[in-house]
Amino acid sequence: MNPAETDQVCPAKIDASCRVPLLALFGGAALWLVIGLFLALLASLTFHAPEMLAGCSFLTYGHLAPAANDLLVYGFAIPAALGVMLWIFARLSQAELVLPLLPVAAANFWHLGVFIGLATILCGRSSGFNWLEFPRAAAILLGVAFVLIAISAVGTFSQRQERELYPSHWFLLAALLWFPWIYSTANLFLVSTWPVRGVAQAVINWWFANNLIFVWLALVGVGVAFYFLPKLAGRPLHSRFYALFAFWTLILFGTWIGIPEGAPVPAWLPTTSAFASFLLIIPLIAIAVIVVKTVWGAKVNCKGGPFCYLKFGITAFILSGLMLIASACPEHGRTVEFTWFGHAQTQLQILGFFAIVICGAIYEILPRVMGFALPFPKFVRLQHWLFMLGTVLLVGTLAVGGVQQGLKLYSPDAAMLALRFSTLGWAAFLLGSLLFAANIFVMTMKWKLALAKTVIAYIKSPLASSEVKP
Amino acid sequence: MKNGFAVFFAVLVTLGGSWLGFVVAPAIQLGTAKQAAILNSTDTWPLQRTGEATLGLQVYRANGCAACHTEQIRQDSVMAEVTLTSLGKSKPEDFKAFVQSLFVLPELAKVTNNLAATLKDWKGELPATILTTDDKAMADAMADRLKAAGVKSETGIVAIGADIPRWGVRRSVAADFLYDYPVQLGSLRVGPDLADVGARLPDANWQLLHLYAPQIAVTNSAMPSFKFLFEVRKLGAAPSRDALNVPKEFAPAAGYEVVPKPEAKELVAYLLSLRADAPLYEAPFSPVTTAKP
Amino acid sequence: MSEEVKSSSAESNAEPTATRSAAPMWIIVVTLTLLFLGFVFFDKHSGWFDAKIYAPYSSAEQLENWQPQSGPAAFLARGKKVYEQVCGICHGVDGLGKPGQAPPLAGSEWVLAKGVNRLAHIPLEGLTGTLTVEGKEWNLTMAAMGVQLSDADLAGVLTYMRSSWGNKAGEVTADDIKKIRDAIGGHPQPANGEQLKTMPE
Repeated sequence: MNPAETDQVCPAKIDASCRVPLLALFGGAALWLVIGLFLALLASLTFHAPEMLAGCSFLTYGHLAPAANDLLVYGFAIPAALGVMLWIFARLSQAELVLPLLPVAAANFWHLGVFIGLATILCGRSSGFNWLEFPRAAAILLGVAFVLIAISAVGTFSQRQERELYPSHWFLLAALLWFPWIYSTANLFLVSTWPVRGVAQAVINWWFANNLIFVWLALVGVGVAFYFLPKLAGRPLHSRFYALFAFWTLILFGTWIGIPEGAPVPAWLPTTSAFASFLLIIPLIAIAVIVVKTVWGAKVNCKGGPFCYLKFGITAFILSGLMLIASACPEHGRTVEFTWFGHAQTQLQILGFFAIVICGAIYEILPRVMGFALPFPKFVRLQHWLFMLGTVLLVGTLAVGGVQQGLKLYSPDAAMLALRFSTLGWAAFLLGSLLFAANIFVMTMKWKLALAKTVIAYIKSPLASSEVKP
Repeated sequence: MKNGFAVFFAVLVTLGGSWLGFVVAPAIQLGTAKQAAILNSTDTWPLQRTGEATLGLQVYRANGCAACHTEQIRQDSVMAEVTLTSLGKSKPEDFKAFVQSLFVLPELAKVTNNLAATLKDWKGELPATILTTDDKAMADAMADRLKAAGVKSETGIVAIGADIPRWGVRRSVAADFLYDYPVQLGSLRVGPDLADVGARLPDANWQLLHLYAPQIAVTNSAMPSFKFLFEVRKLGAAPSRDALNVPKEFAPAAGYEVVPKPEAKELVAYLLSLRADAPLYEAPFSPVTTAKP
Repeated sequence: MSEEVKSSSAESNAEPTATRSAAPMWIIVVTLTLLFLGFVFFDKHSGWFDAKIYAPYSSAEQLENWQPQSGPAAFLARGKKVYEQVCGICHGVDGLGKPGQAPPLAGSEWVLAKGVNRLAHIPLEGLTGTLTVEGKEWNLTMAAMGVQLSDADLAGVLTYMRSSWGNKAGEVTADDIKKIRDAIGGHPQPANGEQLKTMPE
């Protein structure tokens, strides 16, 4: 420990203060990741044999697909993001986590909410809106949980001694502000007692979907990457100006994307979205420049470790952004509208970019927070390869299938072969997620066992003579 | 950036911009929209759904049909068609000669090849569409000249697009979804677009059979079967009135019949209520009218 | 442990920092260029927030132009256009006329008369002297504004006048106008109010 830091909290204490909240968040996240990928695999399998689950109304494709999507984002992505955010805030503030019980309670609320949401969708009571299928009760639980975690995060942030903000701060604070805003807006305008009338519902739904999947995951993913990439590369981030520029252009332009060109809405809405999509190239260029200049020449061999995860994840993000821009092209974007191409871009964003970045971050954080090494260190590299393979197989095949589908004017057989190959992608992701869950669960079990042993040892130990009553 | 409050405010304004633009503004502009007037008619659009069809929308939502089907037809452009309805006193050959004489006009220069090709094999059958152009002024000029020559013609507006005429006759507009909650526009076309399916496939029996076993209607269909919307029950003294006439390969065992549950009937009522075929001001086209009685 | 640690993750607990390189101008220039091109695109395709304009239409005029018209509707639409260009300047787009300039047409007994002969003479010959319209006296001069119009157009204008602003009278056909024009012959002289009253309707 640096002698100059003796008056500050030492990193080990900071990490230890995050232990229980992070385990609560990551444990549930890992579970939902596995279940979500399993449901997605099941959904993909039904394209091989449509009669597979015909008799079961719970597992019809129209339930599996939204359930899988929601579990991946609400069940895995957001809790994992929040856990990593809390740790990064604590580390950057060089202070212990403030009000650590709030995130623990919030994690439980959150996972309960996700469970209620999953059950509701499978029972056929989804709200009917993309990414908002959870019922009101679940939405309230999620909202309250998020706000509790945000309180803890902002409290930790305000403990900082260093007044100047690090670029990750901007991204993550904006994410903390944006999710409650978009989630409450979408729920109030769409799923409440007085929903907005007519096709405005679809417009708000598209706005929410884009801001959640593209903008929010980008804010968190890029913020996390900007923290870990310099740290792991051993070089400073290049540079404050580029990061600031990327941040502002991302939230300025990225938040206006989302309305499809052929939508049954007045022309100004899809035109504005297309306009914003073209301009999205600017933050993508800025982020690419930052990452390349920070990482290039770093003498670090990542060996399938978190550094590799982050590098691959950011590359996937740039690609996902480019796919988004491609689908907004005035003439050619129409070919891939309403095809698997859009689906491929969504999965690239959620799995190829975000899941990989956040798993890399978690692998970096957990050993420090728990105080001991990962139980299965080889799984890290294996998972990295499985996730990379999964991304290529899933996103590549669906993107190609989407283009074929578009060129053949949505003929039903056009994308079938691609769809069947995409099942392999889901399988690869599922296997990787099992490895991830294994690491987290065994770590949790080890910690709980150690805790139990300490408690039992304390109970069994003889009382100090001063405590014995005469 | 050191001034936390200024940064927060700037982020608030930036993020709030999209909130204002894509939530508040559409809620005001589209959320307060009223019914649209159908062109050249006193009727309003959209047509009110029956109670059964309204319940059917909830069945559609509950089963996640929007995961594979969209309800939004797109349009790429619009064209004007000049259709001959009566040659008056002229004979077809005279008419062809007349049209040939128009080729020298500069305003028709762009379409002379089309006109020539259309009239080459024309033997005088009526009605005949002789000109299709995206220049309305040219179509009007042609119609004026035909009128001056004593020939009766009609100028029709036609919507053009990849989705048209396979799945509809015009693009979907906001007015089509005025009464829907939740609006099920969909985002992926694994199956066909359903915006106008009520006009395209108006047979309730076909719809029920297709839901029961999609392979009956479409071989190699990727659509899962919705058997759970139907009841397979023992045949009573006589077959039920609603029993489906299922082909042999998909029929249940002997002595059993397939009867749709209320959800299936509601869903089919909803599908049959899905129409996007009335000309509106924002999506004009000339509907093909059948002969007046 | 330290070998693995060094290769997979820097064990330094130092927090990352960011450099303070100078701002690159090129990216700002590219952003501004794209913004400009984007606004041009928006101008061309958005219909400027009009709730009625959907793609492929890009302006209100274009949408209006592409409205399909059935026979009578087209006739009236053209009559309206011609009226607003030729007659509306003096008689008002709302048909209420302007004091000292032109009498009203809305509710005017001259417009609503059953036959069209008298009415058609006014634009075809012009008018001078006094005329009583809806109880008021008008003493003005009107040029023969209808001479330059075709039979069809004048018929359309008169039909439009007779069916707008609350007026409900029969249509005027191009044949009617042709007959009246032939009857007037060449070099028409402006009629005056007295003459007009004696003319058959």
